[in-house]
Amino acid sequence: MRSSKSRGRFMILCLAPAVILYFVFMILPTLNVFRMSLFERGAYSPTETFVGMENFKVLMGDTKFITAMQNTILLIVTVTIITFFFAIVFAAILTREKIKGQNFFRIVFYIPNILSVVVIAGIFSAIYKPENGMLNSILSFLKGETVMVLWKDQPMVIVSVIIAMVWQAIGYYMVMYMASMSAVPESLYESAGLDGAGRLTQFFQLTLPLIWTNIRTTLTFFIISTINMAFLFVKAMVAKGMADVGLSFMYAQKDAGLYGYSMAAGVVIFLFSFLLSALVNWVTRREVLEM
Amino acid sequence: MKKFLSLLLTLALVLSLAACGGNGGSDAGTTTPPPADSGSGDAQTPPPAEDVTITVAALASGYEEAYPGMWQEVCDAFTAETGVKVNLICDKNLEDVIGPSMQGGDFPDVIHLATGREKGLTEQFIKDRNIAELTDVLSMTIPGESVKVSDKIVGGFTETSVTNPYGDGVTYLAPMFYSPCGLFYNAGLFEEKGWTVPTTWDEMWELGDKAHAEDPNLYLFTYPTTGYFDTFIPSLLYSAGGVDFYNKALRYDEGVWDTPEAQQFFDITAKLASYTNPITPAQANDQDFTQNQQLILDNKALFMPNGTWVVAEMADAPRADGFKWGMTPLPAAGTGARVSYCWLEQAWIPAAAPHLDAAKQFVAFLYSDAACAIFAKGSAIQPVPGLTDNLEGDNKLFYSVYDNGAEAAMGGFAAYGSVPGLGTVREEFQDPFNGLVNGSLSKEDWVANVKEASDQMRANLIG
Repeated sequence: MRSSKSRGRFMILCLAPAVILYFVFMILPTLNVFRMSLFERGAYSPTETFVGMENFKVLMGDTKFITAMQNTILLIVTVTIITFFFAIVFAAILTREKIKGQNFFRIVFYIPNILSVVVIAGIFSAIYKPENGMLNSILSFLKGETVMVLWKDQPMVIVSVIIAMVWQAIGYYMVMYMASMSAVPESLYESAGLDGAGRLTQFFQLTLPLIWTNIRTTLTFFIISTINMAFLFVKAMVAKGMADVGLSFMYAQKDAGLYGYSMAAGVVIFLFSFLLSALVNWVTRREVLEM
Repeated sequence: MKKFLSLLLTLALVLSLAACGGNGGSDAGTTTPPPADSGSGDAQTPPPAEDVTITVAALASGYEEAYPGMWQEVCDAFTAETGVKVNLICDKNLEDVIGPSMQGGDFPDVIHLATGREKGLTEQFIKDRNIAELTDVLSMTIPGESVKVSDKIVGGFTETSVTNPYGDGVTYLAPMFYSPCGLFYNAGLFEEKGWTVPTTWDEMWELGDKAHAEDPNLYLFTYPTTGYFDTFIPSLLYSAGGVDFYNKALRYDEGVWDTPEAQQFFDITAKLASYTNPITPAQANDQDFTQNQQLILDNKALFMPNGTWVVAEMADAPRADGFKWGMTPLPAAGTGARVSYCWLEQAWIPAAAPHLDAAKQFVAFLYSDAACAIFAKGSAIQPVPGLTDNLEGDNKLFYSVYDNGAEAAMGGFAAYGSVPGLGTVREEFQDPFNGLVNGSLSKEDWVANVKEASDQMRANLIG
C-alpha cells in the first residue's frame, strides 16, 4: 500500500513538468483564442469590447474568407492525394525492387524536407520564372517554340503551389512507408508468389493492407500539417490575394487591426482541422491485420 | 522526508516556470545600463535624466543598408549630447521583433516605422489612437542647438495626413525621411532611340504603341508589386483632379468616385493595365519583385513606379548597354499638373511609452545637424532645409524633381476604423491591379468594388 502510494506520487512528479508546460503553453493559449474570438480589439490596443458571436456571423458572409477556405480545401485534397500516391509507389519500388542506387534516391527524395520554406520558395522562383525559367525552358524545348506560362499568375498559381508542396512532402512520407514496408516479412511475398500472385496483386493484397495503420496515422498528420504548410508556401511564394488560404486570411485580419476577427477565423480553422482529422480517421478505419 | 522532498521539487518547478513567464517584465527593471564614460559624469552633476534608458525601435531599411550602423551612430550621438542612454532595436522585420512584446504591453519609447507597410503596424496604432501627441516636440529646442524643431522642418511637412492622421491639425507622427517617387525609366534607351519622355497620358499611350511595334518584347509599363501603387494612385488622383479633389478622394467623400475626374482616374489606370508587361503579375510578389524591376534594366518595360531607393537596390543587377536611371513625375492628366508623390517615413512615440519625456527629446534630436549629417551618409534625407544641396549623382537628379516644376502630392488615404469584411487600403485599392492586368477582374467590377469599399471606409472614418 505504502509503496503504491509513493509510486503514484513519483509518477505525478514525473508527469508534472510536461503537463504543466503543456497546459501553460498549449491549453491556455488555445482557450484564449476561443475567448478572443468573442471580442473586438486591435492587436496592440489595451481596450477590448465584447461582441459575442458577431465575428462569426460576419465571417460566414465574408467572400474573402470563403475563397480562402476553398483554396485550403483544394490544397488539402489535391496535395494529399498526389503526395500519398507517389510516396507509396516510390516506397514500394525502392523497397521491393532491386534498383541501383537505392540509397541515392532515398536521399534525393528526402532532401526537400530538410530545406526551409524560404529556400524552397527561392528554388521554385527560379523554376517558375516566366522568362528563361526552368519549367518554361523545358516546355519550350519540348514544344519547339517559346512557351510562356505565367506560373505564379492566375489561373496557374494554385497549381504552382501544389507542385511545390508535393515536391517538399513526398520524401518524408516515402521514408516512413519504406520503414514499415521493410517490416513486412519476405516469406509472405514468397508464398504469395508461389500461389501465383503477380507484383501488383502482391502490392494491393499484401503491402497495402499490412501498412494500413501507418497510412492512417500519417494521413491525419499530413492533413493538419498541410493547413500550416499551405500558408507558409503561399506566403513565401505568391503575391498576396492571388491564392490566399485560411491562415493567410487570419494573419491579414490581424495586420488590418482586427485581432478578434482573426481569432474567430482561427477558431473556425481549428475546428475544421479537428473535424477533418476525425472524419479521415473514421473513414479509413479497417480491421487491423497482424503479420 | 519524501513528502518534503517532493514538495520542494514541485516548488522549484513552479518557481522556474514563474521565472520563465515573468522574464519580459522583470527584465526592464533589473537591467542596469553599462556605466557611461565616467569622465563626463564627474564633470557636472548628472541631471535625473541620466539614469534613463530609452528603447528606440527603427526599421533597417535601404538607408541602413547603404550605411550600416547609421541608427546606432545617431543613438550614440544622442547619448553623448543628453546623457540619456539608448537601447536600439534595428531590424528589417521590425514588426516581428517588437510586435509580440508590445502585445504583452511592453512598448518601445520611439518607433521609426512608416505607414504603408504590409503588416500595417503604424496604421493600427493610428486607428487605436495609441500615439502620443508631438505638439510640444515641435516647440522644443533641439538638444545641443538653439533652434526650435518646428523652425527646422520645411513648411508643409507637419501638415500632411500622414503626420496629422486625424485631420485636426495636431501632429502625431514626425516627418522623417522623404523621397520623391515617380516613374523610373532607362534614360539611356530614350537617348538612343531619340524618344522624349511623355508629359501627357496621350503621349504616353503613343509611345507605348510605338515602342511595342518596334520591339514586341518592350511594353510601356511594369510595377514591382501592387504595394508600389501607394505612390502612383495618389499622384494620379492629384493630377486628374487637383488638390481639392485629391483631398476629397483621400477622405472617401460621398460621390467622389462618380465625378468626371474619378472617371479619368479609372480610365487611365485600366488602360495602363492593358499596356503593362503581361508577365508582371506573376512576379509581383515579395519573392520576385526584383525581377519586375529587372524588366526596366533589360528594356522589357519602359516605366515603373518606384522610389529613389531602387538605384541602390538594383546596384548589382545586370543591365542593358548604356543604361542610365531616369525619373519623371507622372504624365499630366486632367489638371495639366505633373505630380511626383513625396514618400514620407515617420517616427512616432507610442502613447504607452515608459519614458515619454526622454522619447520626445530623442525625436527632437533627430532634427539636429549632427543627426541629419549621419542620416545623410545613408542618403536618408529629412525635410530639413539645405540637406539636398550635398547630394550626388542619381540622387541629386531625383531630388531636384520639384525644382523642375513637378508638384508634390503628400499624404495618404485617411485612417478608418477596422471593420470585419472590409480590407485595408492596399487590399481594396492597390491589389486589384494584378487582376486588371491578368484579366481576372473587369474594369466595371473594379470600379464598383472601389465605390463599395469607399462607402464603408467613409462610414468608419476616425477623427
